[in-house]
Amino acid sequence: MAAVSNPVPRSLGRVLGLVAFGVLVLALRPPPAAGQTTQLDRGREVYDRWCASCHGFEGDGLGPAAAWMLPRPRDFTRGLYQIRTTAGGAIPTDDDIMRVINEGMPGTTMPGWEGQLGRGDREAVLAYLKSFYPPFETLAAPEPLDFGRTPRASPERIEEGREFYQSIECWQCHGDEGRGDGPSAPELEDDWGYPIRALDLTENWRFNGGETVEDIYRRLRTGLDGTPMPAFQDLVDAGFMTDDQLWNLAHFVRSLAPEQRPRVREVIRADRREPGELPASVDAEDWSEVEAFWFPLVGQIIVPPRWFEPAVHGVWVQALHDGQEIAFRISWSDRSQSPDPRWMEWQERFLEVMEPREAGEVEPEARPDQFVLQFPPTIPEGMDRPYFLMGRGGDPVYQWRWRSDQDGAEPANAHGIDDIRPLDGRIEADARWEEGRWRLLLRRSLEPTGTGDRLHFETGVSIPIAFFAWDGDHGEDGARGAISSWYYVHLLEEPPPSVYVSPLVAFVLTGGLGLFVISRAQRRERRPSEAGEGHELAGSADTDDRPRTTDGTDASMGPEADLGRP
Amino acid sequence: MRERLRHPFWQGALVLGVAYALFRWGIPYLPPLLGISSAPVPRSVMLQYMLTVLVGILVWVSDNEERWRRFKEPMRALLVQPERRVARGAMLVVLPLLVAFVTYDSLRPKISAPAGLRSVHPANPTSITVRGEAMILEGLENPLRTAGREEEAVELGFDLYYQNCMPCHGDYLDGQGHFAHGFNPLPLPLRGGGTIAQLTESYVFWRIAKGGPGLPREGQPWNSAMPAWDEILTPEEIWAVTLFLYEQAGLSPRTWEEH
Repeated sequence: MAAVSNPVPRSLGRVLGLVAFGVLVLALRPPPAAGQTTQLDRGREVYDRWCASCHGFEGDGLGPAAAWMLPRPRDFTRGLYQIRTTAGGAIPTDDDIMRVINEGMPGTTMPGWEGQLGRGDREAVLAYLKSFYPPFETLAAPEPLDFGRTPRASPERIEEGREFYQSIECWQCHGDEGRGDGPSAPELEDDWGYPIRALDLTENWRFNGGETVEDIYRRLRTGLDGTPMPAFQDLVDAGFMTDDQLWNLAHFVRSLAPEQRPRVREVIRADRREPGELPASVDAEDWSEVEAFWFPLVGQIIVPPRWFEPAVHGVWVQALHDGQEIAFRISWSDRSQSPDPRWMEWQERFLEVMEPREAGEVEPEARPDQFVLQFPPTIPEGMDRPYFLMGRGGDPVYQWRWRSDQDGAEPANAHGIDDIRPLDGRIEADARWEEGRWRLLLRRSLEPTGTGDRLHFETGVSIPIAFFAWDGDHGEDGARGAISSWYYVHLLEEPPPSVYVSPLVAFVLTGGLGLFVISRAQRRERRPSEAGEGHELAGSADTDDRPRTTDGTDASMGPEADLGRP
Repeated sequence: MRERLRHPFWQGALVLGVAYALFRWGIPYLPPLLGISSAPVPRSVMLQYMLTVLVGILVWVSDNEERWRRFKEPMRALLVQPERRVARGAMLVVLPLLVAFVTYDSLRPKISAPAGLRSVHPANPTSITVRGEAMILEGLENPLRTAGREEEAVELGFDLYYQNCMPCHGDYLDGQGHFAHGFNPLPLPLRGGGTIAQLTESYVFWRIAKGGPGLPREGQPWNSAMPAWDEILTPEEIWAVTLFLYEQAGLSPRTWEEH
């Protein structure tokens, strides 16, 4: 039992000694440095796991996945940040960087991390990525600019903003109607030499720095460092423009995009018109009264050669039918009417950095813009649809194919993305490219029009539909394009007469029943009152001098029920 | 006001109103205040709840002769009293209008997508052929895990995942990549207990290798945008991505011993 005979205490003492030493060492380390090191270590750990794939383990923006993206991931070693509240050329505040970490960069591959990483992890990453640019430590803490209060939007402000947009030549890059199709747009590149697109101002949900008028105003003041977008702060300071003019401009830019971010709805409603009253042209006035449905398009990254940066990000679709024909009007932003020689150099530069991996070299070429509307060959039972990506061998899809270098559109069956088999038959098309936007009208009779074409558009059912778009000047063709999965179009049917007759019958029946109940109640009421047995009803508020019974009911009441007639 | 509160008719009406508010707004919005998730009550359930409350009220008022008489009073007054004739007339118009509207609403043509159910994790085939080689899935282990090359494989999987899978399945493996919104059904998240943690690595290998086009009949009607990756990646690369997925999501695959 004696402790001496037990060998354990000696080793225990050694362990205790080590622990004590460890505690002493930890206690003696200067606390701030220790805090910083662990913060940076933690930041590196989180960064290497979640950020390095794109931004690179050295923070140079050259991670293993970077070459699949344009705009390329941020290179942190140059201290250039687009989204700031500080003056042009200045470093951002910590809050600026945190905002991008939290919310991501809409319109790019950068996601928001607020719901994904804990606050501590995000703060550690922030500290770590600042360490890629040493001047962050030596430069004075940057002062955010004072952005003042947001003036209210008004038609006058927006109109003045529009004039200002013209006078300071925003259209040079962004185009007259803001779709990024200005004459200088094909020449733009960022500070790293990569081709960069002038922003399409009609899609504000893709604005890197946020979609609100305040966000737009801030980007105007501070510029987007690393891109060709200048900071107007200096011009305000130098008296060349006023702050109010910048607010007008911000309101105007905001007005170019829809008030609400478009919501994806699964079914397009094709309203019914009287026979023969379908709009014949793409800019017929009638279309302005037809609801437009928005559908997102994404890169074809399913079969080789895959395409990671498509030019078209979404289409607006309207549909009408008149019981004999169906007409679709499709609108989408496209910076050029391809092939446009002014964009050839852009295409060269773009293909150089975004070469599709499996296709080998893709040569810059004069290619047309294209659009495909896709349906199943016949209306399927339930959810059974052919493969959305242009069908498969033996299980095809039916398509209307349009190209900007041909009149009309061609029907075809697709048995796969590279197996398109043209059909005879007639699809009418009317297309117009204006101010960075295609508008395309496609029209066909509800009945099939040729051999091999079997799709009969029925009213009152949901018919699968999908969309594909190619921008020729973006190097797109074949598998290199933008795709959607299946949605539906529903041709409204003429409602059967019962839809109107039944409510009428219900109205009459309910009303009749009500009358019956009232008159019966009143007849029963009168009987006891004639016998002089009044019910204890509340006193009458009537002020007329007609004779009354003891219980206050109107003795002069006629034989018919009192229904509120005076 | 006090008088009314003591009257069985108005008491009943009050209970009905409070019950409606509770079902309609209380159930979806009160629990979240305590951090418990909730959802709006479906219409059919709502109707059932309200009918139950109504029956309860009627049982209560008819339980007592005097209460029953008083309960009927305001209704009778509305039907017969001369000074209520404006209300009476209004009721005669509003009630039938309401019935007519409900009838119209249930008959008018509505547009909706066909509903469909699909099995997210359909049963796997016993064997698949990848690049000309037959593989039996039953009992199949990740060869990279057993060969002790895990670290190297995870690094390869990291690169491959972010180059190929990230646009849909997301940087955080949460199914929220920048292309995810373009597909329906949405790409699956790969983290959380309900996903790859429930599957064996051979199952994950099969889903990656054969993608949407390789789904069996019970996995349909499908519209999956998942590519058949065996056309793009080698089997070893697919195993590396599989290994990486579990490592990055902090999950373990289901093992064959468990069966």
